[in-house]
Amino acid sequence: MSETVVSARGVTKAFKTGAHTVWALRGVDLEVQEGDFLALVGPSGSGKTTLLNLLGALDAPSGGDLMVLGRQIAALSTHARAEMRLHSIGFVFQAYNLVPVLTALENVEFVLELQGMGAGRRTRALEVLNELGLGELANRRTNELSGGQQQRVAVARAVAARPKLVLADEPTANLDGENAEVLMHLMRDLRERHHMTFIFSTHDPRVVRHAVRVVTLVDGKVASDELKPGEPPHVIVAEDRSVPTWTAR
Amino acid sequence: MAWVGTRYAVRSVGRNLRRTALSIVGIAIGCVLALFMESLNRGRGELFARAGSASGLGHIRVVPAGWRGRRDPRLRLADWQADLAAAQSLPGVAAVTARIHGQVLLAVGTHVVPVDMAGVQPAIEPRLFRYVQTVQQGRYLRPGESGALVVGRAIADRLSADIDDEIVATMVGPGGDIQSALFRLVGIVSTGTDDSDTAVCQVAIEDLERLSGFTGAGEVSIVLDDYREIDRVRAQLAQHVARGDDIMTLSELAPDVEGHFKQDTAVSRFVSGIILLIVLLGVASAQLAAVLERRREFAVLSALGMSGRRMVGLIVQEALLLGGGGALVALAAGVPLVWRLAHTGLDFRRYLGASYTFQGVLLDPVIYGDFGWWIFAYVFVVAMGATTAASLYPAWYAARTDPAVALRVAQ
Repeated sequence: MSETVVSARGVTKAFKTGAHTVWALRGVDLEVQEGDFLALVGPSGSGKTTLLNLLGALDAPSGGDLMVLGRQIAALSTHARAEMRLHSIGFVFQAYNLVPVLTALENVEFVLELQGMGAGRRTRALEVLNELGLGELANRRTNELSGGQQQRVAVARAVAARPKLVLADEPTANLDGENAEVLMHLMRDLRERHHMTFIFSTHDPRVVRHAVRVVTLVDGKVASDELKPGEPPHVIVAEDRSVPTWTAR
Repeated sequence: MAWVGTRYAVRSVGRNLRRTALSIVGIAIGCVLALFMESLNRGRGELFARAGSASGLGHIRVVPAGWRGRRDPRLRLADWQADLAAAQSLPGVAAVTARIHGQVLLAVGTHVVPVDMAGVQPAIEPRLFRYVQTVQQGRYLRPGESGALVVGRAIADRLSADIDDEIVATMVGPGGDIQSALFRLVGIVSTGTDDSDTAVCQVAIEDLERLSGFTGAGEVSIVLDDYREIDRVRAQLAQHVARGDDIMTLSELAPDVEGHFKQDTAVSRFVSGIILLIVLLGVASAQLAAVLERRREFAVLSALGMSGRRMVGLIVQEALLLGGGGALVALAAGVPLVWRLAHTGLDFRRYLGASYTFQGVLLDPVIYGDFGWWIFAYVFVVAMGATTAASLYPAWYAARTDPAVALRVAQ
């Protein structure tokens, strides 16, 4: 039985710009189960990034009922939301957003350090980089890496702590076709092996092709919610989840 | 293995080398100026203690009961020899002497001058009273000698007296009777200022006892090896002095002079504070610029779950690195400067003459700074403290970064 990771009922979000109020979300209803691989699509300004920010506890909704990982987002303090992001949610950004003065390994290790992980965090970070095929580049500064490699480091950073939910905002927007394919394969692979839930906003048809479920937003509302034919909606969760599944490839 | 957060802070300091170098130079300049001022302040404190004690006040003085309020030279110690022995037995005491004072009229022919005559122990007095170390004519008093007198140049001039002249000293005795004695002028001292010269009129303690009719000593003056030990020695001495006798420190003996020094010190510390404030604002401005440049980065870190407290810690760490760099540069520049200040001093003779007096205390117009291990602690505390303070606003600003807003703007 899979758990509900996201439960949104009539979620709204408004932004004040001077005297005007802009409604970015106008009542989103969405249910996401553990192991979903979900693409949020829609035209620019449809509310994809705003919804991702709410799902990632970066922001609080203006109205409606939003539960993420069993917690009511609107009820959380800033500090509690930061703690939730740190321990339960991974982020992949369009522009990679790695810390430029740190190496690939240190970027991944830093998140584990923030989580309070003691000895073993370096080994764990290296394992994740190896799994994503970046072991040999671990000690390179991020500006010495290609765009595709940087985005894979960003994915490694997002998943190193094995969060239940990974959010990716236009993850392939700055990548060429080959790197976009590699990235999507890696994310699907991670989802299948570690039962993570991936939600990504995108305009990219290559990404949509990999998605198991496609939710289309138009004018701040869910216009359609489709399951790809032939794809299981979410992965089957293994009984024994304590078995470590990180392996070097 | 260093924490990644620490490596991050170290490398972040190196991101903009020009700004980092300017910040470090700014901190170093502020620290060197503050160090220079503090060295002078401490030197001034030492000058006050040295000049005050050498002007005959001593670092500590045992006085008769009631002298503190009346300052009456006829008052005598309850047991001056016991007080003298007690002071001599204490560790850290460099020299001890007994004295008496009397208001005396000196006369040579038709010239009459009122003076404060001191009866002293000639073998020890020059070690405690700097003024009699500069005998311009003749010589100083000899131990066991009777009827000899040493005066300052100003007194000798007003009396038109010369070496070997006989001088009549007259004073009022215990019963109100007028008593006189004849002294022979054996030495004339010159301190360089009339004020100080007027304060020098010395005879042997036994001679003044006879002239005044009051027996015993009116004070026991104590000079210490280190003036910073005044409070300790005073406390120890208090347990041993004769019952009824009182103990006063240099600050109590010369409150006006000490007040003058304290005022100077307060003004220079205020100026140091303003200099440091200006440096602090400069560093804060540079740090804020660095934070603004990295706003997107802080937004990402915040999105990843970095707490505001850790973000503040990161910025403060970077500030401490700047402060450490500034302190090292400040030490490299400041140590030779302060060493020179301590050894050659700041020479004010051009403006003040060879020496000058304040409230009867002869002061050296060359002011020396203090040089010691405190310099290292001082520079590091000032540099680290100033940069930490300067980083607080930028750190608070970084910690307030709203990841959603910052990422939205960045995209």
